[in-house]
Amino acid sequence: MSDVITVITSPPFATIQDLGRTGFRDSGVPVSGLADRESGLMLNAILGNDANAAMIEWAVGGGSLRFDCATTIAVGGADAIISVNGAAVYPWAPIVVADGDELRIERIVRGRFVLIQVRGGIDVPVVLGSRSTLLSAGIGGLEGRRLRTGDRLPVGDYVMATRNGIKPAHHLNVDGPVMVVRGPQASLFDDAAWATFLSSEFVVSRASDRSGYRLDGMTISHSGPAALPSEPACVGAIQIPDGGTPIVIMPDGPTVGGYPKIAVIRTSCMSRFAQLTPGDRVRFAVD
Amino acid sequence: MRLVAVTDVVPAYTTLAVYFDSRVVSFAAISSLVANAIGVPEVDTDDSQTLIEIPVSYDGPDLADVATRTGLTPEEVIQRHCSRTYRAYMTGFAPGFTYLGDLDESLVLPRRTEPRVRVPAGSVAIAGAQTAVYPLVTPGGWHLIGATSVAMFDSRRNPPALIRAGDSVRFVRVEK
Repeated sequence: MSDVITVITSPPFATIQDLGRTGFRDSGVPVSGLADRESGLMLNAILGNDANAAMIEWAVGGGSLRFDCATTIAVGGADAIISVNGAAVYPWAPIVVADGDELRIERIVRGRFVLIQVRGGIDVPVVLGSRSTLLSAGIGGLEGRRLRTGDRLPVGDYVMATRNGIKPAHHLNVDGPVMVVRGPQASLFDDAAWATFLSSEFVVSRASDRSGYRLDGMTISHSGPAALPSEPACVGAIQIPDGGTPIVIMPDGPTVGGYPKIAVIRTSCMSRFAQLTPGDRVRFAVD
Repeated sequence: MRLVAVTDVVPAYTTLAVYFDSRVVSFAAISSLVANAIGVPEVDTDDSQTLIEIPVSYDGPDLADVATRTGLTPEEVIQRHCSRTYRAYMTGFAPGFTYLGDLDESLVLPRRTEPRVRVPAGSVAIAGAQTAVYPLVTPGGWHLIGATSVAMFDSRRNPPALIRAGDSVRFVRVEK
């Protein structure tokens, strides 16, 4: 007999969802699937499941589940107060549970859908290529309906994932300019210098390491002194030294610097910028 | 005041940097906190500054060159360097590297035209109106006039830097 999860107390609204059902729109079948796909992908990646493994999408209130098997679970999506056998546990991490352990969703604090996943996923029948519940048609999920107290959910056999759908936003996945904000000395650079900075394509120099990345290409001039009183700098600051060749401060770079800083790379673009290798091309844009 | 979202507060010559976690607190919130704090400085009633004495063996490879370029004797260079109490302005460049000033005007020289690729740790150096101790082996363009055995940076200490902005520093001449 396969592993099972028992719904001890169902919330008012919970269904089984995966990434959804495509290919049947011409029959009027909506795609369904997880409303918060990003969170679902994260949970499946955390557990090593296939990206499309089905999970519980839990909404509106609290309740609890019992694992009638020893396994590993993960919870994410909306912020919620959660516990296992009364002890607080954390979202976005694998939680090892023993046969008989009880997961309780005390309440949802922020957001709408809490996602609960188990290693192997929820193994309900595939209908039209998906395990997602579509209530209006009464298909997918567990008998095409919401979960109810007393339901027993079959857990799938674990199969090593061949895809997990996680794509960090680095250069392997994203094109377009690296976004920057104006730096502390932005006003030392006149319109022509800014035009050069924002219209040029720079090439990451071989002289780049964990302290700083040099950017070859057009040089940038400014009207200020060659060096200012040194001041604290930060990772992502784009310094313009005498020669006009930009240097971006990286994680092992100095905490202070005296070169004018035209701009600073947005934290959200920093991982992507860091993955550039010598010879890679990069453009900047201000948002 | 202590805020968990603020990870570092770094003073420099004319600036103060506040580093914060933008996932926890907004730029606007931090800005208004800082703006309010500027008007009401928290006065440290204990005005006895930390005085740090650093023993120096004045036998650096550039001592003779500094003497020649300043028109002083090596002995005069040493005397003028170790006869003042310096103020620590800022720590940076390398872990534990603290900029001290101001030098006796007669010792002010531009940096070396050819920076060294490898300056030994503990080197006591001067450049412009500043003096400092190189805490670690790093490249450097300052003039090396002596050396100390005191560790300027120790990752087992808290704080790890021996000298911090605001401290007073004296160099004490010792024979090697």
